Amino acid sequence: MKTKILIFLFFTIATSVFATNEFSSQGQSDPWTQQQLLAPADLAKVLNDPKAPKPLVYSIGMQAIIKGSVDIGPTMRPENLNTLKEKLNKLPKNTQIVVYCGCCPFSRCPNIRPAMELLKNMQFTNYKLLNLPQNVKVDWIDKDYPMNE
Amino acid sequence: MFFALLLFGGTISAQSTGLEPGNKSPQIKLPNTKGDTVALSSLKGKLVLIDFWGTWCAPCIAEQAELAKLYNKYKQSTFTNGKGFGIYGVSLDAKKSNWENFIFTNKINWIQVSDLKFWRSPVAKTYNIQALPFNILIDGNGIILAKNLHGTDLEKGIASYLRKLMTEN
Repeated sequence: MKTKILIFLFFTIATSVFATNEFSSQGQSDPWTQQQLLAPADLAKVLNDPKAPKPLVYSIGMQAIIKGSVDIGPTMRPENLNTLKEKLNKLPKNTQIVVYCGCCPFSRCPNIRPAMELLKNMQFTNYKLLNLPQNVKVDWIDKDYPMNE
Repeated sequence: MFFALLLFGGTISAQSTGLEPGNKSPQIKLPNTKGDTVALSSLKGKLVLIDFWGTWCAPCIAEQAELAKLYNKYKQSTFTNGKGFGIYGVSLDAKKSNWENFIFTNKINWIQVSDLKFWRSPVAKTYNIQALPFNILIDGNGIILAKNLHGTDLEKGIASYLRKLMTEN
């Protein structure tokens, strides 16, 4: 009997976790708007144009792959989120900022939400999340967009 | 005639190496945690699961316990043209400490290699990996039997290929 209850509990919890993930992947609870998603092609164009003004690009995941990006480290960890906060503290609120992770599909990336929430809470006005819905390989590297050496 | 030969040559080469069942799996030679290079071909003769993973990939982590169970259960299997089941773990980690700590803490006892290049690892390109976790099952000659087996399909696949290898002449 106890086993049955445990099995039932497991499925109830698993189902609710799944439902939460589904909700999250639909974007309804994500701390960004559609307008805050930056297309990789647009960033690549800016990075490839020597004359174009460059945004500040922060890697908030495992590795700063994108050309000119600054490595913060995975912002799922409080110490890295704090590093990002310290850097942001020194910047005017209207600084053009782009953040990206690219480890995993958006729906299960543990790093993009804390970083976007921080930018929102610090009242920055000109920040974007690089739209890498699958990962940085498929959506950036495979397209031969510019990378750090 | 020259172009015909070129085309023909290209076809042959595409058939011999590729990523579909029946193709020969591309060679991988990467360092283990001690820095020693371990080739995929060093497992020649065994049924091998090439497991592409990373400590930053939650579903990959969740799968490691299942891999340990399967490895310990099947590693001593014998079959007509070879012996044993092996796992060749390729991590797409970026930091050695994360990778090493996970292997040590979880007492992973099969081959683990990584160039610590995250998604920039050339192996991700060679194997056309689109997402993690990703795996490929190969026979003792490196021929691809199946790819991306997860959950119950993983054990079913390994068990069924082992059965087949045991009865093969």
